[in-house]
Amino acid sequence: MGRIVLDQVSKKFGDVEVIPPLDLTIEDGEFAVFVGPSGCGKSTLLRMIAGLEDLTSGNIEIDSEVVTEVPPSKRGLAMVFQSYALYPHMTVRKNIGFPLRMEKMAPDEIDKRVEAAAQSLNLIDYLDRKPGQLSGGQRQRVAIGRAIVRDPSAFLFDEPLSNLDAALRVGMRLEISEMHERMQTTMIYVTHDQVEAMTMANKIVVLQAGVIEQVGSPLDLYHKPQNVFVAGFIGSPKMNIFSGSEAEKHGAHTIGIRPEHTDVSMTDGTWEGRVGVAEHLGSDTFIHVHDTGLTDMITVRITGDISVKHGDKIYLTPQADQIHKFDAKGQRIA
Amino acid sequence: MSDRKLPRLLQAPAVLLLLVWMLIPLGMTLYFSFIRYVLNSLRRPEWTSPSLSNWRGFGNYEFVLKSKDFLLAIQNSLFIVCSILFLTVILGVLIAVLINKAFPGQGVVRVLLISPFFVMPAVNAVLWINMILDPVLGLQGIAVAGINEFLDGLRQIPVLGGFFSLWPEFEPVSFRATQTSAIAVIMMVTWQWTPFAVLIFMTSLQSEDQQQKEAAVLDGASTWSQFRFLTLPHLGRPIAIVVMIQAIFHLSLYAEIEIVSRGNGNKNLPYLIGEFANNNIGAASATGIFAVILANFVAIFLLRMVGKTLME
Ligand SMILES: Nc1ncnc2c1ncn2[C@@H]1O[C@H](COP(=O)(O)OP(=O)(O)OP(=O)(O)O)[C@@H](O)[C@H]1O
Ligand SMILES: [Mg+2]
Repeated sequence: MGRIVLDQVSKKFGDVEVIPPLDLTIEDGEFAVFVGPSGCGKSTLLRMIAGLEDLTSGNIEIDSEVVTEVPPSKRGLAMVFQSYALYPHMTVRKNIGFPLRMEKMAPDEIDKRVEAAAQSLNLIDYLDRKPGQLSGGQRQRVAIGRAIVRDPSAFLFDEPLSNLDAALRVGMRLEISEMHERMQTTMIYVTHDQVEAMTMANKIVVLQAGVIEQVGSPLDLYHKPQNVFVAGFIGSPKMNIFSGSEAEKHGAHTIGIRPEHTDVSMTDGTWEGRVGVAEHLGSDTFIHVHDTGLTDMITVRITGDISVKHGDKIYLTPQADQIHKFDAKGQRIA
Repeated sequence: MSDRKLPRLLQAPAVLLLLVWMLIPLGMTLYFSFIRYVLNSLRRPEWTSPSLSNWRGFGNYEFVLKSKDFLLAIQNSLFIVCSILFLTVILGVLIAVLINKAFPGQGVVRVLLISPFFVMPAVNAVLWINMILDPVLGLQGIAVAGINEFLDGLRQIPVLGGFFSLWPEFEPVSFRATQTSAIAVIMMVTWQWTPFAVLIFMTSLQSEDQQQKEAAVLDGASTWSQFRFLTLPHLGRPIAIVVMIQAIFHLSLYAEIEIVSRGNGNKNLPYLIGEFANNNIGAASATGIFAVILANFVAIFLLRMVGKTLME
């Protein structure tokens, strides 16, 4: 079980309001991802849920029980930190078993649980090493193991993969997703990497300056961004967003069109421009188009390869049903 | 020249200087410890200058081992050093943990705490033995007199007075006596060296990883468990350093012992060396060699112990 409800939760550091009052519900078994630019308050929010940070106002409920005043260890949550926060003087075995030892569990029961966790995380061969003798990926696994043995009602992850190299990150991402499928435990995962958010989440919470911009499934956010911020934040490469007469033609203050929803032709189309840099990835090509008169640069994405040269004339046609329209306040027009 | 030779050549002067610096005194001590060498002798004037013809073999060592003060000096050296180490490490850890938390006036408190370390050892000893521990004029004497006076006052009370008159008068302790002078030395040196331990532990505490503590809090560790399983192991190396440095320093305590009791019942090895060196350089040197052996023994033993207990 692990249904977490935030009710008018806010946080001030001194006079600075980092998180204005917000409401949020995370259902039992959900994989929720907090995503947003650096400094927007993701970690603070997570630490408030964990109990490491006091609330300035509001309440937090876990499974319909108000835990605002409950100490961190009694909330039944386990957290994995960005820096792993392993205990450097203890072996992997002792690290993973530490929470159980603090619960005064019998030593042989601890051993059994530690071995089971280590088995599932491929750590059996490293049980007697110290954290300093492990690779980054292995340390991360130990940190996860320490969370798993407690059998928590929810896992909290604070950018757990940001210290790993790209290849390992993809691997660990899959492992964590798989872990979630297997255990069906609530997970809250903080990241500023929107690819991680899109690939792992059932529910994405987009934050900006402590304010929730939108909550929804990855595809919701992709297809129906509620405002210009979410439109620009979710999707890679970024959505092309611009205002002006072209937007007014569509009855909006601002319109957005994703790079992959723009057709390209060398002969004719709605918008005319000049090819800037073309990035050839093999499977896709990203072309940066200048001099369209709409905005500085429009990015388009073409499946497969295309041969264009710097400075070539190029025509773009947006797919009419894929144009996102926003009003003067940046809110979506239905 | 091969690429190994040049660096070696450039290091050579420093290494040579260090060797000379260490080996000459040690070599001379060894040499003197095997010959008869005294400063004054009317009967055997040939012993007053060091020479191989006065070779005595292990005679000096035997003489030292058989002298009545030697065992006492070793015992006393160990007792004083170990007590000081024990007290400074415990007090140092406690104080460092206490003042590591933010509180108003932190800066002033820290400076005040460090200040005993800047007092000269001889001055420290004079202050303690005369102004604090003196049974009549020192703080101790005044305090004991005050308590006795207070008790006297209580005895005057009509009914309760009968109960208080069962209490004895308090006697001030003389710290210059044979049995107590070592205690006085331990007190004054502990007072002086605790700041050193605090300073080193505090620096180390400031580099402690806060996320580890938060992880421990989430794992359900109590304040004591956090201290026991995170802070103490984290302090393992600084404790080893403090123990090591202090062991070396305190094995050679001299000024305090001289000032407190002139070695009366409270000799340590350096003091014994000093007594021998009044005339018998050979015996003093042999004692010096014993001191070197003892220092190494103590250092290795203590390091092992600290390493074992703290690093799990
Ligand atoms: N202890 C603190 N005292 C004062 N301000 C703080 C404190 N902790 C965080 N802040 C401020 O709160 C804001 C949110 O910080 P937070 O760490 O939650 O950001 P974040 O979204 O996790 O960013 P990142 O992606 O870089 O980790 C920041 O502006 C930060 O400066
Ligand atoms: Mg953060």
